[in-house]
Amino acid sequence: MGLSAQLGDHLSIGFSSALEPLNLLFGMIGVTVGTAIGVLPGIGPALAISMLLPLTFGMDPVGAFILFGGIYYGAMYGGSTTSILVKMPGEASSVVTALDGFAMTRQGRAGAALATAALGSFVAGTFATLMLMLLAPVLVELALEFGPAEYFALMVFALISLGGLSGGSRAKGALATVIGLALGTVGIDVQTGQPRFTFGVPGLLGGINVVVATVGMFAVGEVFWFAATRQVVGGRPAPIAGGVRLTREEWRRSVPAWLRGTVIGFFTGVLPGAGATVASFLSYAAERRLAREPAAFGEGAIEGVAGPEAANNASAGGSLVPLLALGVPGSGTTAVMLAAFQMYGLQPGPLLFSQGSNLVWSLIASLYVSNVLLLVLNLPLIRVWVRLLHVPRPLLFAAVLTFATLGVYTLNNNIFDVAVAYGLGLVAFFMRRHNVPLAPTILAIVLGPLLEQEFRRAMSISGGDPTVFLTRPVSAVILGLVVVVVLWPVVRRLMVGPRRL
Amino acid sequence: MPSDRALGAVLLLVSIGYMGAAALISEPEGQYAVIGPRLFPLVIGAGWFVCSLWIAIEAKEVVPLSVIDWRVVSASALAFLVYVAVLERVGYLVATTVFVAVESRLLGSRSWGRDVIVSIGIAVSVYVVFRLLLGVRLPEGILG
Repeated sequence: MGLSAQLGDHLSIGFSSALEPLNLLFGMIGVTVGTAIGVLPGIGPALAISMLLPLTFGMDPVGAFILFGGIYYGAMYGGSTTSILVKMPGEASSVVTALDGFAMTRQGRAGAALATAALGSFVAGTFATLMLMLLAPVLVELALEFGPAEYFALMVFALISLGGLSGGSRAKGALATVIGLALGTVGIDVQTGQPRFTFGVPGLLGGINVVVATVGMFAVGEVFWFAATRQVVGGRPAPIAGGVRLTREEWRRSVPAWLRGTVIGFFTGVLPGAGATVASFLSYAAERRLAREPAAFGEGAIEGVAGPEAANNASAGGSLVPLLALGVPGSGTTAVMLAAFQMYGLQPGPLLFSQGSNLVWSLIASLYVSNVLLLVLNLPLIRVWVRLLHVPRPLLFAAVLTFATLGVYTLNNNIFDVAVAYGLGLVAFFMRRHNVPLAPTILAIVLGPLLEQEFRRAMSISGGDPTVFLTRPVSAVILGLVVVVVLWPVVRRLMVGPRRL
Repeated sequence: MPSDRALGAVLLLVSIGYMGAAALISEPEGQYAVIGPRLFPLVIGAGWFVCSLWIAIEAKEVVPLSVIDWRVVSASALAFLVYVAVLERVGYLVATTVFVAVESRLLGSRSWGRDVIVSIGIAVSVYVVFRLLLGVRLPEGILG
C-alpha cells in the first residue's frame, strides 16, 4: 500500500509538471518533430535528439527531456506511414509493416492500415509507459545492491547483444562495436589524467563527443550515401481513399494483435540490443503463427500491421527501463539519451530516482501525454505528413546537413568538432558500403568509457583480483548470459541439430 | 567485384597502428590504481585485429553497387571541406546560403531559382530562430 500511495504522489507531481503550458508545448514540438523524422527515411530519433541537444542547453532539463521523449515516441509512430503508403519504411522498425501495410494500400484499404497503426501505437505506447512506471522502481531497488562489477557485466551484455543482433554478419556487428570502443578511448583518461590517442591535438583532449559522433555518422554519412547512389526508393504516394478508420471486424482483429504486440515489444525493448526492429519482426512472426489463415499474411492481413506497429512503440517504452533505472542504455537512441543526461550533469540510475525524481516522473507523465497528443494531432493530419515526401531530396539532405553542422558547432563553438563529424561521416559511408551496422558504434562510444571505469573501479576494490566478476552472483549470472549470447549459434546448432534453419 | 577481403586487410593495418599507439601510452607510476590507462586500449586493439581477420576470412561480397557515383561523393566531401574552412571567416548566414545551394545542385537538384530561394530561406530562418530568438552563438563572419 505504501508503494502504491508513493506512486500516486510521484505521478501527480509528474503530471502537474508535464501539463504546465511550456512543457506541454515542448511535448507537442517533440511529437511533431518525431513524427516528421519518422516519416522521412534516413533520419531517425537518435540523430534528431543529437542535433537538438546542443541547442537545448539553455533549457530546463525537464522541458528538454519531455522534448526528447516526444521525439522518440513520435518517430516510432511516424515510421509506419510511409511503409504503408509507398512501401518505403521511414525507420528500420517499420520494415515488416510494409509487407501487409502496402498490400492493404493496393487493395484500397490504406485508411484502415493507417488507423490500426496509429491506434495500435497509442495503445502500446500507453501500456508500455504504464509497465515502465511499474517496473523501473522495482529494478531501482535491485540496482541499489549493484557495484562496479555488476555494472561492468551489464554494459558488456548490452554491447554484446546489440553487436550480435544488428545486421546480418556477427563479424561486422563485432567490428562496429570495436570501432566505437576505440573511438571512446580518445581523450584524457579520467582516472589518471593521461592523454590517449590525442596526437597532440588539443581538440581531442575532451574525447569524441557523442553528439559529434551521432550527427557525423548518421546525418553526414546519410548525405554521402545519397550523394553516391541518389536512390530514392518507392514512388509518390497515392491519395488515401476513404477515411482513416476501422470497421467493426477490423477492430475485432486488431485489438488482440495490439495487446500481443505490446507485451512482445515491451519486453524485447527492456532487453539490451534487441530493440524496436527485432520487436516488430517477433510480433509479425507471432501473429502469423496464431492466425487462422497464415496464407493471408503478405496479402494484406491487418494483424500484420497492427501487431508490429504496436510492438515497435512498446519497445520504446521498454528500452527506457534499463536507461532510467540502471543508467545502462541498450540501443543507439537510448545511448544518445544517456549522453543527454550526462551533459545536464545527471546520472540515470537509482540515484536519479531518489534525487532527481521530479525529472523522472515528469518524463514518465509526459510520455502518457505525448501518446494522447500523437493520436489527437496526427490521425487527422496523416495527409499533411505524406506531403513531406514531396520535398525534393537534394534540398532535404542539404538542409539536414546545415542543421547537423549547426548542432555540432554550437556544442563547443569549435570548428574542429565539425571537421571530426564530417570525417566520421565518411567513415560511416564506408561502413554502410560494407554492411557494417552503425548503432553498435554509437552505443560503444557512450558505454566504452563507462565500462572501462567500472572495470578499473571493481579491480581496485578487489585489490587486483579478477575473480571478483565471478564471485559476485549477479555479475556472474550476467556474464554467463554474455557467454550464451556469444555462443548462441553453436548452442542453437546443438539444440536443433545440424539441419539448415 | 569488390569484396570484404580488402576491407579486412585495411582494418588489420589500422588495428596494428592502433595497438602500436596504445603501447606508447605511458603508465603513470606510483599510483595505486591497479589497472592503468593502457590495458583497455590494448584489449580493444586486439579485438579489432581479430574482427578484421574474421571479416577477411569470411570475405562476404559487398552488395554490388555499380551505381556508386564517386564523383558526387568526392565533390560533396570537397564542398564540406570548403564549408568548414570558411564558416568562421565568412559567417554562418552567407556560408550556409551558398553551401545549401551548391550541395543541392551536387545532389541532383536542377532548379537554380528554387534552390537559391530555399537556401536563403533555410539560412535566414535558422539565423532568426537560433541566433536571435534562442541566443545560440553562430559564426558571425563578415556580417558580424
